[in-house]
Amino acid sequence: MEKSKNLFTAIYDGIFGGTSKNMRIALYVLFGLTALFLIFAIQILFWGLGYTDMDNNFTWGAWIIGDLGLVGLGGGAFTTGYILYIFRVDKLRPIINSTVLIGFMCYLFTFVFLLFDLGQPLRCWFGFAYPNWGKGVYPHSMLTEVFFCLSFYFCVLIVELIPVILEHKVLIKNKIIAAIAHYMHLLMWTMAAGGTFLSFFHQGSLGGGMWGVLYAKTVWFAPHFFYMAVVAAMAGGTSFMTLMPYIAGKILKKELVPMETFQILTRVSGFIFIFYFIFRIYDLYMVANVYAPMGGRNYFDMWGGYYGFWMIVLELILFMGPLVFLNIKSFRDQEKFMVTGAACGVGAIVISKLSVLLHGFSAPNFPWKGFTAYTPTIQEWSITLGCFAVMILIYMAFVKWFPLFPHLEHHDEHEAHH
Amino acid sequence: MIVKDVKMKRRWGMAIDLDKCTGCGKCSLACNQENNMPIFEDDSDVPKRVAFLELMKLTNDRDAKFPNVKTAYLPKMCQQCEGNKQGKHPAEPPCVTVCPAVATDRGDDGVVSQIWSRCIGCRYCQTACPYEARAFNWWKPEYEGSFKNSLSTDVSVASRGTIVKCTFCSHIWKRERDKAVAAGKLDINDVLYTPACVNTCPTGAMVFGDLNDPDSEVSKLANSDRAVRLTNVIDDIKDPAKKKALMDKKQFPNPKVYYLTSQKWLRDMMRFNPRNDAAKKNS
Amino acid sequence: MKKIERKDFLKLGAGAVAGGLSGWVFSGSPFMAFQWLAEWTQDQYVPVKGLEKYVEAVSDSCPNGCKVSVRMIGERAVKIESKEGVCPACQNALQMLYHPERIGMPLKLDGAKGSGKYVPVKWDVALKDISSRMNKLISEGKGNAIAAINKNESLNGQLMEKFIKAAGSNNVYYEASLKSITSATLGGFINYDFANTDYVLSFGAKLVEGWNSSVDMQKVFTNWKAKGTKIVQADTVCTMTASHANEWVPVKPGTEAVLAFGIANYLITSKKMTSSGDEFAKWSQLIINKFPLAKVATFTGVKEDVIKKIADEFSKAKNPVAVAGKGGAGVSASSAEIIAVYCLNTLVKSKAATLMKNSAVTYTGDVAGVDALIKDGKFSMLFLNNANPVYKSALGEDLKKKMEKAFVVSINPIMNDSAAYADYILPSLSYLEAVTPSNKEVVKKFKESKDAKDIIIALAKAVDKTKNTFSFSDGIDSYKIAGKDSATGGKFSFNVDKVKNVIDAIEKKLAQNAEYPLAMVPVEVPLVGDGDGLAFPYVLKSIDPKVMLYNDMYVQINRDTAKKYSISEGESLVIKSARGKLGKVYATLTDTVAPDTVAIPLGFGHKNFTKYGSGKGVNPKTIMAADVDPLTGTADWWSTRVKIS
Repeated sequence: MEKSKNLFTAIYDGIFGGTSKNMRIALYVLFGLTALFLIFAIQILFWGLGYTDMDNNFTWGAWIIGDLGLVGLGGGAFTTGYILYIFRVDKLRPIINSTVLIGFMCYLFTFVFLLFDLGQPLRCWFGFAYPNWGKGVYPHSMLTEVFFCLSFYFCVLIVELIPVILEHKVLIKNKIIAAIAHYMHLLMWTMAAGGTFLSFFHQGSLGGGMWGVLYAKTVWFAPHFFYMAVVAAMAGGTSFMTLMPYIAGKILKKELVPMETFQILTRVSGFIFIFYFIFRIYDLYMVANVYAPMGGRNYFDMWGGYYGFWMIVLELILFMGPLVFLNIKSFRDQEKFMVTGAACGVGAIVISKLSVLLHGFSAPNFPWKGFTAYTPTIQEWSITLGCFAVMILIYMAFVKWFPLFPHLEHHDEHEAHH
Repeated sequence: MIVKDVKMKRRWGMAIDLDKCTGCGKCSLACNQENNMPIFEDDSDVPKRVAFLELMKLTNDRDAKFPNVKTAYLPKMCQQCEGNKQGKHPAEPPCVTVCPAVATDRGDDGVVSQIWSRCIGCRYCQTACPYEARAFNWWKPEYEGSFKNSLSTDVSVASRGTIVKCTFCSHIWKRERDKAVAAGKLDINDVLYTPACVNTCPTGAMVFGDLNDPDSEVSKLANSDRAVRLTNVIDDIKDPAKKKALMDKKQFPNPKVYYLTSQKWLRDMMRFNPRNDAAKKNS
Repeated sequence: MKKIERKDFLKLGAGAVAGGLSGWVFSGSPFMAFQWLAEWTQDQYVPVKGLEKYVEAVSDSCPNGCKVSVRMIGERAVKIESKEGVCPACQNALQMLYHPERIGMPLKLDGAKGSGKYVPVKWDVALKDISSRMNKLISEGKGNAIAAINKNESLNGQLMEKFIKAAGSNNVYYEASLKSITSATLGGFINYDFANTDYVLSFGAKLVEGWNSSVDMQKVFTNWKAKGTKIVQADTVCTMTASHANEWVPVKPGTEAVLAFGIANYLITSKKMTSSGDEFAKWSQLIINKFPLAKVATFTGVKEDVIKKIADEFSKAKNPVAVAGKGGAGVSASSAEIIAVYCLNTLVKSKAATLMKNSAVTYTGDVAGVDALIKDGKFSMLFLNNANPVYKSALGEDLKKKMEKAFVVSINPIMNDSAAYADYILPSLSYLEAVTPSNKEVVKKFKESKDAKDIIIALAKAVDKTKNTFSFSDGIDSYKIAGKDSATGGKFSFNVDKVKNVIDAIEKKLAQNAEYPLAMVPVEVPLVGDGDGLAFPYVLKSIDPKVMLYNDMYVQINRDTAKKYSISEGESLVIKSARGKLGKVYATLTDTVAPDTVAIPLGFGHKNFTKYGSGKGVNPKTIMAADVDPLTGTADWWSTRVKIS
């Protein structure tokens, strides 16, 4: 009895020790969300998807939005890795650990969301055992591509994350571990190259190909969607990877990553956003003038209900953030504009994923039917927000206990307080 | 006994005459009974409803005002799409290529099968289907008490978390095939059958048969002027060269269910844009 | 030899574990385990296998006698098919046969009426109680206080009529139907020769949607389409019949009778046609005075030249027929309407409408019909033979009050709204468990339930006065005394004295009413009909989301009318008539409904109809027009003045 009480006190102090009031409240909220997630996770897994607001017309919802967002924004990991290890832009090294961790978590929770979204999660391995592979190298089903590519890339991310874990101040003391970590760092470029190769495929398939190949669904059909999603991931992901440690640094009131690193990454992001913006305009033109009429529909008639054309307008407005603030040096050098630009960039990508899913499913399939809507149930909210809460908690744990930010270690010798 | 390796020559299709359909609902009843549809105390959660055949009600409210209105019932089931050859790309139904576990496939007789025991419930096929023909078992399918007594053994009871859909009653084909074989008729093409819905239609609005047989009633109806297919806009392009050019750019569902009507308002309601000038310009 | 140390053991153990684990993984067994786990956790029911066979049967649910072929797996009936045609109710008989709420034993009331509290009792106990009460009433000279309401004219209905009449009562009635109200009005029901007609003028009869015999009408419709028979449908809502008709005549709600008056007026005055019915001169004078074409046009909303054109086409057709009886499975018409429409047939000397009657069926008793019985009848004992007047009659609530004071016996297979007010419920069979001259029972009967015919015969034998009414003791022998249809000879009366009041009432109802500015008319939903279908899951599964969605019931309103009253799609409404108000319903907007009209689905709002049928939607009959027609003894509930908020 005494022992368990001591254990509980030790855990509690370990997590909450020395935290400010605001931090404590934040932690209570995050743990609360995690608890809700666990409760409703059991309900969904044991009693089925009837407890969601998805239905035969609105087939996917919060969790696929989550997947699209997580994978899309997690694309910052491969882009940053590529620039650091292949282009040898060493000024990005201070941010790479955080990026890899966030990337790892994004893909991990993509799998978690998918586990809930499958009607038969116990059969998830069918995607590997009975893949829908047509003739030749190219898979028949985009989801087969996603299954394999995401899994391989997840392995890459694990390998990329291992050194961060091994560099824990206790573990690194062991000579063998130190050696492993050292050699892994040397060979990390292979992971970066492989990861980029894999990412081009799954970013394309999950973000765009999946939707673009549905020839019978005019609301999504667009052969170029695959390629556009890759560019989107690179653009939005880099901004996202900038924002996360920036926010963490603001909360901790420490310089976790030098401003120069942020500026390089956001400069890359802004540059890719130009390409994405052009691609998006091309996409809108093609869909409105070519693909929608091919499917016998008027592009603008397909927008309606709650998820109307305002989503495109909002996305285009948000584009201005990165296009202006991240590309013009005088803006990018000012912290508040840089952050605004990055945030708008992330927002634009998020809105585009939302419109793919919400607008896509709400558009009527029959001429005599109207637009439908989707209101996630408490189960869906809890699992989605719960997963986000767990991601934040893991990130915070890593910030506290692992050398996530070499720049910080460099500058600060004593313990970081919360 | 050696059975000659005979190729399946039949391609099953259906023709539904909307000018004869009175909306009596017997097709829906027969399908539910034949295919062991799950029983719910409250089946009014229509978006989550598990049924192979949906009796849709149409009006021309979109195009007309009182009293120039009309109404019709349209029995809708899986349209057993074919897709079309797109350049070198083979024809594929929109829902078959997307399944990550190959739980659905287009058979030699044109019927798109659905194997619930392979299905992982990802619902990608449901997302791809333009006709909302696939139902997902959001809840565990149940049959209260004595209702279990009327379940057929020819159709498996699917589990929750899997997709189910109309298969043109291919289990009845199998039943007839077994009977034919037992009677010594071994040719696979000797087997003809009727799905439950067609069997019970009192006005003869529903016709079923072999689309590959030019003398069959369904073939004649499918090729008649009165035939129109749900949202399959490629049909509206009459010029064969333009049609081929468009089909080389994109596949179209190419369903095997043909609706028949002489009523112009109904033909217009089967299209989002009845005139679709843009599509014609595009081709 | 090297000493084996602990760490060697550890290494060995680790290697063994690693090797075993990888072997197990690569053998595929964890994947098979997952597959087994998936199936075990799903716990799906596996239907019991058996030998397949087909059994033929004839339905005895109603006089149509649908012939079916039942597919059996072992002893279980799994599918009903038919080569000759089967009505939807008979096709869905499996869901009645195997309904988990089937009543297996006689039930005796054990609480307040309507509470649903019953205890099972043995048959002889129930029969003894019921017969002794009957004996008492009869010995006190109160035989006429025993009343009965039959669902229809099937053989058990005919037996019930014989039984109650033999007990000395004149109060046997049949639930309001096309046949019953037509018979009460014209002295016979109409046998239509639809196969040989070339012009059909229908006054609101939903010919293809369950009207009359749905099996026959589907064949008739197919025939009409093939032959090109012209169908003209007068209707307020663009129903399937109206849409399939060659011409839809949109009439203002409840004005079908007025249209008939107008056409009759025109044919009599302009074409000098006459009818053979009694009091024709008096009637035509009344109609000509009261309904000049201009007034008819105003009331119906149909232009004068259209009325004349229809009348001309109708009279010039080779074998025209006019059809009355608004509705599908649930039919409503006033006597004035029935007479006026039949008059049209007699004016043009139509060969397609013949008055018939059945030798074993008398539709009227001391009063003309069920609603008259509810309003004016005094009964201390009531038999319900599979009837559900508490739900189907517009005066259902009043009937409940009378049933609470009377001794009620209901014969039915599952609980319904009326049986919930019975003192005894005697369980009857689905047709699949019945023996007919053509077939043995398809499935063994459910527990202690009995064929309704056997129940009635047993009751008759238990009551002194009716001991010898039936010379047989087995239901199967009763087929030899089944009634036969024969023509009445066509004599009928216009009954002007009674009909005059009805016509006045119609005029009054159609006059402008500021307090109740809209009219509510019923529509029917496939398979639900007038309510009988709702207890069955496969019927629930077919209901369109614009009728019921998430357990909310929808009514249809014209788009312009909706704009006038600021009602948007999906908005909730409360509908009020002079009789009361309905529970919350929701609006769906469509121009298939005439302006200033609310179209409300029939068949919902049961209070006691198994868990599948209860608590869904509202029953509009509770606020529908309930004036009892003097000739039909039934309320014409078709059009009711309402207001919405």
